[in-house]
Amino acid sequence: MRRRAFLKGIGAIGAVALLDIKVLAKDTKPKGKNAITFKKALEVITNGKGAKTSDKVKLIVPEIAENGAVVPVKVNVEEPIENVKSIHILATKNSNARCADVFLTPRNGRAYFATRIKLGQSQDVVAVAVLKDGSAIMASRPVKVTIGGCG
Amino acid sequence: MNIDRRDFLHIAAALGIFGVSGLKASKRADDISAEDIMDFKETGKVTLLHICDLHAHLKPLYWREPSTLLSAPNLVGTPGFLCGKAFLEFYGIKPNTLEAYFDTYLNFESLAKKFGKMGGVAHMKTVIEEIRRERGKDNVLLLDSGDTWQGTAVALKTAGEAIVDAQNYLGVDVMVGHWEFTYGKERVMELLDKLNADFISQNIIDNDPFSDSFEEVVFPPYAIKEAGGAKIGIIGQSFPFTSTANPKRFTEGWSFGLRLDTLQGYVDELRKEKKVDCVVLLSHDGFSVDQEVARKVRGIDFILSGHTHDPGPRPVTINGTTIVIAGSHGKFVGRLDIDISKGKVRDFNYKLIPIASNLIKADKKGLELVDKWYRPYRKELNKVIGKTKGTLYKRDTFYSTFDALIGEAIRDKMDCEISFTPGYRWGTTLLPGDDILVDNVYEMTAITYADVYTFELKGARIAQLLEDIADNVFNPNPLYQQGGDMSRLVGVSYDIKISEKSGKRIKNLKINGKEIDLNRDYVVSAWGGNLQNAGKNLRENLIEPVYDVVTKYVEKKGKIDISNRSNVNVLDFDCGCPKKGGICE
Repeated sequence: MRRRAFLKGIGAIGAVALLDIKVLAKDTKPKGKNAITFKKALEVITNGKGAKTSDKVKLIVPEIAENGAVVPVKVNVEEPIENVKSIHILATKNSNARCADVFLTPRNGRAYFATRIKLGQSQDVVAVAVLKDGSAIMASRPVKVTIGGCG
Repeated sequence: MNIDRRDFLHIAAALGIFGVSGLKASKRADDISAEDIMDFKETGKVTLLHICDLHAHLKPLYWREPSTLLSAPNLVGTPGFLCGKAFLEFYGIKPNTLEAYFDTYLNFESLAKKFGKMGGVAHMKTVIEEIRRERGKDNVLLLDSGDTWQGTAVALKTAGEAIVDAQNYLGVDVMVGHWEFTYGKERVMELLDKLNADFISQNIIDNDPFSDSFEEVVFPPYAIKEAGGAKIGIIGQSFPFTSTANPKRFTEGWSFGLRLDTLQGYVDELRKEKKVDCVVLLSHDGFSVDQEVARKVRGIDFILSGHTHDPGPRPVTINGTTIVIAGSHGKFVGRLDIDISKGKVRDFNYKLIPIASNLIKADKKGLELVDKWYRPYRKELNKVIGKTKGTLYKRDTFYSTFDALIGEAIRDKMDCEISFTPGYRWGTTLLPGDDILVDNVYEMTAITYADVYTFELKGARIAQLLEDIADNVFNPNPLYQQGGDMSRLVGVSYDIKISEKSGKRIKNLKINGKEIDLNRDYVVSAWGGNLQNAGKNLRENLIEPVYDVVTKYVEKKGKIDISNRSNVNVLDFDCGCPKKGGICE
């Protein structure tokens, strides 16, 4: 769930919302309205235009996650900072595919962002960069979430 | 040490029972001497000697290579996924030779009687010193790809110290790690203080946000060594999946991973800034993973691989990077001679030297070293607890007899419906009629987290777990494999279609002869992994180290007779050792 949407929800429902949060916390899988599919998220981010796979988006993720709850993701967009409006990180099979939206200005110096995301299962992680001209470029990498166990 | 002809022993062709027709040499294939073993065409001025996956075997042992080594169809029959006849054919090795004995399971029992045990540090030392003498001490480096400190009772009981002593004796110059870490971070640091070698790893990163060195490498990423007048840059790659394959608690605060982006960075740094003449990756990635690394990272001359225990008699060259791997359990020393001039590798020659302990004289100091470390435990470890009717071995993709014995022992003690034993690739081999010693049980189970846990697991979870493990073993992309074999299960049978996509490979899953009930809780016993964390109602009063469980069971039974019949039916391959394209003879 996007932070803004979440806060708005609490405001609207008021006191009842607190109860809802408890229920939500118990339940591991967000249901109903919380679900944002990858397709839908990509549509919203790119204004319906979609994104083209590009070598300019360097996405660094582990091949096999050490801990699915905190998977390190690094994105470096090899474009002048003036040319990059935003970086978005998506997880294709999470209930909410939209993990991070980062809006940049030239004062950021370069189009680079690193964070940790939670992955519910093995899936593709996608980084999208929206450029100044409104077009979008992306890179995708599979990340395996596993109980592990060989020697 | 100067070794002359007399120091080498010789096995004449005593028996005429082996089919040796079709040999090109006038000499019989089974007539071999240590001189043949050492025979080598010197190249250049630099020699890298390579060992990997010793698994703490200070003494010679029998080690039978797999009779089933299956993988995704695109990988079957390629180096890393070859066994038996397909292996002999790929590498052009004649049956019933010393090489065939060391590299495959074929005729193992009769060849074992003829050629004897393999490895042992005292025998390795003789070979290593002979090469040092021949090439000049300063021109030879001994590199160790790890999985050295763990695997035997003497390693476990001395918390790795006996093995570090043996490494110092052999003169290891540089090493990386995997099972080393299962002694825990603190012990690793203590042992590294005792070790006279560089421990390097570009892919172990401090992951503790409160640490001063957050996001920095824990160990030096590389070492630069001078040998034969050349500058050799050696980058370390420890096992990338240590924190998922082994308990996280041992390496809390450290992050692993392949980290090919930083690896590329170090290769470039060594070449451009440090001006080395040759870049070597000392790796515990696994043989097939390192072939992928060669495809993805530019500028590495040689990868000295490890982890997957493959004997690699011939190097593999991909995109200008040459990959070698030297088997396991001390069976081999890899010799790589390199001709370097004007800052470039011009030529090389490689040989996988078999440590045939009946042909190579043991170094006296080595025998003393082994004796020193075994002495306090000799009585306990040499105790005979039973006798085996058939060969007890570890390896194979789904089933091996020693694992079946362990599973049987666990079921007998824990009264569980299912037992899980990990698909490790280390252990030992006992020949038909051999006594079973306490030491042998440890050779199969000596780990720092040996407890058997008994708990309940839902049918659906078991089914999902098996799919998960199958994907670690059979993923068509080596970068997503963890390099072990399938977990061994007792009480479970299934069919598997290896070529099927992830999550859909396992069919006809049965628990004790009945179709699995996805909604029922099953009583499961497991060791050597973290399955217990996925279960519930842990039987705390039943927790016991697996080596004790197995020792008591063998003592109780006396005579051990384990069936060779696998509990797994493979749907898409007709044999255990197919050639490329999945072809069986």
